[in-house]
Amino acid sequence: MSNHEHQDSKHQPAQRNEMSRRQFLSYTLGGTTAFMVGGAVLPMVRFAVDPLLAKGGGATLVKVIEESKVTEEPQEVKFKVSQVDGWYKSETEKVAWISKDASGKVFALSPVCKHLGCTVFWNTHGRNEYDCPCHDARYSKDGKNITVANSPLDEYEVDIQDGVVYLGGIIPNTRA
Amino acid sequence: MAHGHKSDEKVVYVGDSRVKKSGRIDGTPPDYTAFPGKSEAFIPNFLLKEWMVGCVVLVGFLVWVMAEAAPLGYPADPTNASFIPMPDWYFLFLYQFLKYPYVSQDYVLLGTIGVPAIMFGALLLAPFLDTGKERRFYRRPIASSLMLLSLAAVTYLTVVSWSHYQDQLEEKGIVPEHHERAEKVREALERGEERPSFLKTDATPALIEADDPAFSIVEAQCISCHAADLGGGAGPSLIGIGNRLSSEEIAEIITHGTEGGMPAFEGMISDEEITQISEWLAKQTQS
Amino acid sequence: MFKSIYNWIDERLDITPLWRDVADHEVPEHVNPAHHFSAFVYCFGGLTFFITVIQILSGMFLTMYYVPDVIHAYASVDYLQHQIPFGKIVRGMHHFGASLVIVMMFLHTLRVFFTGSYKAPREMNWVVGMLIFFIMLGLGFTGYLLPWDNKAYFATKVGVEIAASVPYIGDYIASFLYGGDIVGAQTLTRFFAIHVFFLPGALIAMLAAHFIMIRRQGISGPL
Repeated sequence: MSNHEHQDSKHQPAQRNEMSRRQFLSYTLGGTTAFMVGGAVLPMVRFAVDPLLAKGGGATLVKVIEESKVTEEPQEVKFKVSQVDGWYKSETEKVAWISKDASGKVFALSPVCKHLGCTVFWNTHGRNEYDCPCHDARYSKDGKNITVANSPLDEYEVDIQDGVVYLGGIIPNTRA
Repeated sequence: MAHGHKSDEKVVYVGDSRVKKSGRIDGTPPDYTAFPGKSEAFIPNFLLKEWMVGCVVLVGFLVWVMAEAAPLGYPADPTNASFIPMPDWYFLFLYQFLKYPYVSQDYVLLGTIGVPAIMFGALLLAPFLDTGKERRFYRRPIASSLMLLSLAAVTYLTVVSWSHYQDQLEEKGIVPEHHERAEKVREALERGEERPSFLKTDATPALIEADDPAFSIVEAQCISCHAADLGGGAGPSLIGIGNRLSSEEIAEIITHGTEGGMPAFEGMISDEEITQISEWLAKQTQS
Repeated sequence: MFKSIYNWIDERLDITPLWRDVADHEVPEHVNPAHHFSAFVYCFGGLTFFITVIQILSGMFLTMYYVPDVIHAYASVDYLQHQIPFGKIVRGMHHFGASLVIVMMFLHTLRVFFTGSYKAPREMNWVVGMLIFFIMLGLGFTGYLLPWDNKAYFATKVGVEIAASVPYIGDYIASFLYGGDIVGAQTLTRFFAIHVFFLPGALIAMLAAHFIMIRRQGISGPL
């Protein structure tokens, strides 16, 4: 507030280097304003930013394929997960590219391109790589980024029970 | 080009659609010294006092909303006949008013349009009806007494409406939905179950052996209370009743009625028919 | 920094008088509760505005979760109130705040009435104030339907039936409000639109007119 020239007439000891009555009132008013805004708005802000603070629920494991059918050549598997999005519960289909590495370990890659989120496909150009149709990003069989994208494809959590492969949540790539 | 003119100004405007300077440059609003006594600046002096009151109200308000949850009943169900509709409290006076003779039935227009239009119209146009110079309420006996009378009437109608609602609840033994619902949720969570949603799931499940001749008797006798799909109306749902009751128990209820309001059908339909119905109903199981 | 930005804008738009008029105008003693305790009756107008601001804010935040659709409306209200932290408080603010606005506005109206403050030259401001009152009642009525529970459904039905009894145009009013013949999906979206766009827009315009007139005419003098 810049109009200090209009001061209270009772304000006599003008020499003392203290706050003027008007300044004091202004600060108190500012504090009160902050209190009122805070009291009313903070609960709403907490309400609005809840998705940032909510912990991602642990994904349940879903049965997708028998282990014996997994080959070294990646193959596309589709599976359904029940998804709870706030008040909206639905079944969504997810896609994984599942394959074995040289040591016979099964791993599953998420086909979501790490460049801009298009869906990659195995071996469309005959290079034994994952190719992205949007900006020609390429990934090795392990999901390692070769061009365009700056990070490797994500993996699904893999669990093998009684010869059946179960897939869980998405984790950062552990192979590339 | 507007440049070059009035070069003493800080800014040279192009064209003439410029912002007009305020005529009250001395900052003296019309009410500066219009009234006797001490006056003070709006900001910060007066607003601080006003906001002290505001803080008290805000704190009280926050305590209120933390202590009490906003009511939420069951999902809207147009077929629900046992629900007593109530508007929000500030409409209760109108709601109650429409129950009186001379503003209902043949005169309903008087109640829905006539009287409210006059009352609210008079309120809207009060300054043009009460045109005297006098401002003190005790020197304006007509205006003041009309307002006091209306206030008394509105208060009376609201109180009557609310107490009538409370009486009805007590008489019918109804717990307001939002209390019942909150209670059910609490119990379910205490039992460690999932939070109930109360939403009706899909369509009512199909009846078993709906082509049985017993169903035609049911259609004639039962559907006025239990609904055409037996999903329940004034009476409870009969879907899946086979899970709860045996055919003998069902026959017993049909013959003698229940305390919940179901009439005794003994004599109204033959005993064979009762047996037929109860055996058919006992087959109505749901997984 | 702030000062130079402010000066830059002020040189071009001359904004100082705008806020100076609000900030520096003198408030007389007879409305100041610090001088006469009984002057707290003059606070109800300000409190109405304060609660209205809370209503607008909480309403804006509620629409982040609410869906005006017959299938999801109830579930989304249930979710936002019971599953989101502080949801109880935010919905509570909006629900109970609605009642509080009505109470405050009512008390403000009575104060203006009994102090005769609506008399010349302030007739127009009273009329605008009354329009604000009606808009608030309209907001209360349309907002009541949105949670889509039984109370909402039946109260709306009764309310629209009352409107339908108006001669000649009643049926048109009813089908306009229903968006059809029944209280259903189209009623809900209509009431939502009226509740969050049309009426608040009108309300803000009316409030602006109300405040501008108060500044033009000053507060009414002591009795």
